[in-house]
Amino acid sequence: MDLTFSTEELEFRDELRGWLEANLPGEEPRGDEDAIYAFRTEWQRTLYDSGWAAVHWPQEYGGRDATLMQSAIFFEEMGRIGAPLPANVLGLLLAGPTIMAWGTDEQKDRYLTPILSAEEIWCQGFSEPEAGSDLAAVKTRAVRDGDDWVVTGQKVWTSGAQYSKWCMLVARTDPDAAKHKGLSYFLMDMEQEEVQVRPLVQITGEAEFNELFIEEARIPHANMLGEEGNGWIVALTTLMNERSGLGFFLQVRLRQMLDRLIAEAVANGKIDDPVISQSLGDMLERTETLRLTAYRGLSTIMKYGQPGPEGSLTKWLWSETNQMMTQLAVDIVGPQALHSANPWSYELLRARGNSIEGGTTEILKNIIAERVLGLPRK
Amino acid sequence: MQFDFTEDQHEIKRTAKDLLAQRSTSEKVRTAAESGSYEQSLWAELAELGWPGVAISEDHSGGGLGIIELATLLEEGGYALANSPLLASAACAIAIQEAGSDAQKKEWLPKLASGQVTGSFGIAGQTFPDLVDAAITVSVSPDGSSATLIDVSAAECNAVETIDPTRRYGEFSEADQSGEGMPGDGAAALDISTVIVSAELVGICQRALDMTVEYVKDRKQFGRPVGSFQAVQHRCAQMLLNTEAARSVTYYAAWSADADRSLLPEASALAKSSASKAGVEVTGSAIQAHGGIGFTWEADVHWFYKRAQMDAAWLGGTKTHRERLTRIAAAQAA
Repeated sequence: MDLTFSTEELEFRDELRGWLEANLPGEEPRGDEDAIYAFRTEWQRTLYDSGWAAVHWPQEYGGRDATLMQSAIFFEEMGRIGAPLPANVLGLLLAGPTIMAWGTDEQKDRYLTPILSAEEIWCQGFSEPEAGSDLAAVKTRAVRDGDDWVVTGQKVWTSGAQYSKWCMLVARTDPDAAKHKGLSYFLMDMEQEEVQVRPLVQITGEAEFNELFIEEARIPHANMLGEEGNGWIVALTTLMNERSGLGFFLQVRLRQMLDRLIAEAVANGKIDDPVISQSLGDMLERTETLRLTAYRGLSTIMKYGQPGPEGSLTKWLWSETNQMMTQLAVDIVGPQALHSANPWSYELLRARGNSIEGGTTEILKNIIAERVLGLPRK
Repeated sequence: MQFDFTEDQHEIKRTAKDLLAQRSTSEKVRTAAESGSYEQSLWAELAELGWPGVAISEDHSGGGLGIIELATLLEEGGYALANSPLLASAACAIAIQEAGSDAQKKEWLPKLASGQVTGSFGIAGQTFPDLVDAAITVSVSPDGSSATLIDVSAAECNAVETIDPTRRYGEFSEADQSGEGMPGDGAAALDISTVIVSAELVGICQRALDMTVEYVKDRKQFGRPVGSFQAVQHRCAQMLLNTEAARSVTYYAAWSADADRSLLPEASALAKSSASKAGVEVTGSAIQAHGGIGFTWEADVHWFYKRAQMDAAWLGGTKTHRERLTRIAAAQAA
């Protein structure tokens, strides 16, 4: 057991730190979605120009062949220094790896480089109004018409759709096949009249997400990823990449938030309140547990090629902790924390989404019970 | 970074698990608990294998390995709920190694490492595991700033009955003034004992979880296994989360004792805060998931609950250690 970074890992980290210190952009704009998007696009181009856009990608596709540990270090450092996320985060983390795993040579040549350079932004068309946690229940239909597929349906929670050139789309190509077997995975061009994007205003008042209304959109057959009827399996590749690396970014941000809270409690004297002190101790325990469990999970995957039982727990623990911590902030800061101008008010509301997005906590518990503990299904 | 045991450490852990699965069966645990006495042959065998002195230096006839190795043995001891003075005696030896004078080390470490005598360890005025039969004991102040070596045969102490019959406990009488000062690092002694009892709690949690998963797969109500009900499934998922959380921080703390002592005070508080909570909640949850049978003397889950309660409270529980975590973080922030 060795919980220090190896020489190679330290060299990687120090090179990255040096680069980040020299190239970090200024403060991210607040509130204006278009301005945020432009800022993050510019940031991704800067990363791309120096070969930092996707360290976990293979070198032949413009990455650095980073190990999982180096990739974790990358996201930790990005979080630590307060760097923004790149504009095409879904392309880099989800679409790219899925295309690498399932794409033809032509598809890889066509799509990967523009993902890296932020020339083409990607969004994810999985969830539907009637298919949330029950993802395989998607109803969006794709019907073959010559060399094309004609697609009709509705998608929801598609973040960044208004800026996207491409959409990872799961649609039903065989309505008669069993639920999971009738699906196919498409790369859909968003630049067509038949795809309408409508912002979905969330409880924070902003619109990170959208609804997609798809009315007889056309997708060439060449844009199917994987075989016809294989969409569920391809989608699982995407979902398995969903939190890779990003967890380390979020975990560092959570700890920074806690450090601000402790500083506030020290400054206003609430630290001497034993109830507050207990709650902060709980938060310290949780944030350290997250960090250590994430590293333990990574070591397991690197050594044994598959995740251990701890791998399924961090998203649950993170979302619960973020909700508890933002609530504790109201106790420590007082009602001013709920003034709209106070950043805690946004964090408190945004945290409500954490236990829903990317798999609800209830679904995660089902998965842990059935797949990790081997309990019988209904 | 390699947050996993080395092959040697895995081998030690596997061997310990296999041995205790044979030597410390549920029947033996029950017999020992109900009779209030340990099976001497188990302790003799563990001593023969060098377990009590695994983390004592070779200069003092120990195994020369680290706290990580000792923690793996205690984790498996907790898993099997082994009835032996291993925790108390190993904690005593580590405390003498950390806090003792050269003469104290020379006199006691070889005897403790070989299992020829047993020791105990605790916070002054509180409960001492396996005290009455011990030859020697280290008593520390609550913050570890002072440590005292006590010759048990010359001290006024007696056995106390607790809720946990799987281990014997004792206390010193209030009037007892015996003992000699120890010049070394009492705080490190306390921190390391805090880590190894956390390891025992991790093992207890894992066993309670395994027993529960097995039971709810088997037990049928309404014509189906109760483990297929979501309420039961989510309870089991929570047990896994608590167990794995305690495991992550406990392994980290054991590593810090061996590799980076500057991290040990915070890491030991993290370990005990998490493991005490997990121990009490996971074993309590195990009783609940077993339903009525879980509340009977006849089922084995209560032994784990009782040991977990004592371990959780010993050397400070979750609230004590959370307060300590906040104090350390606040000092860094100020």
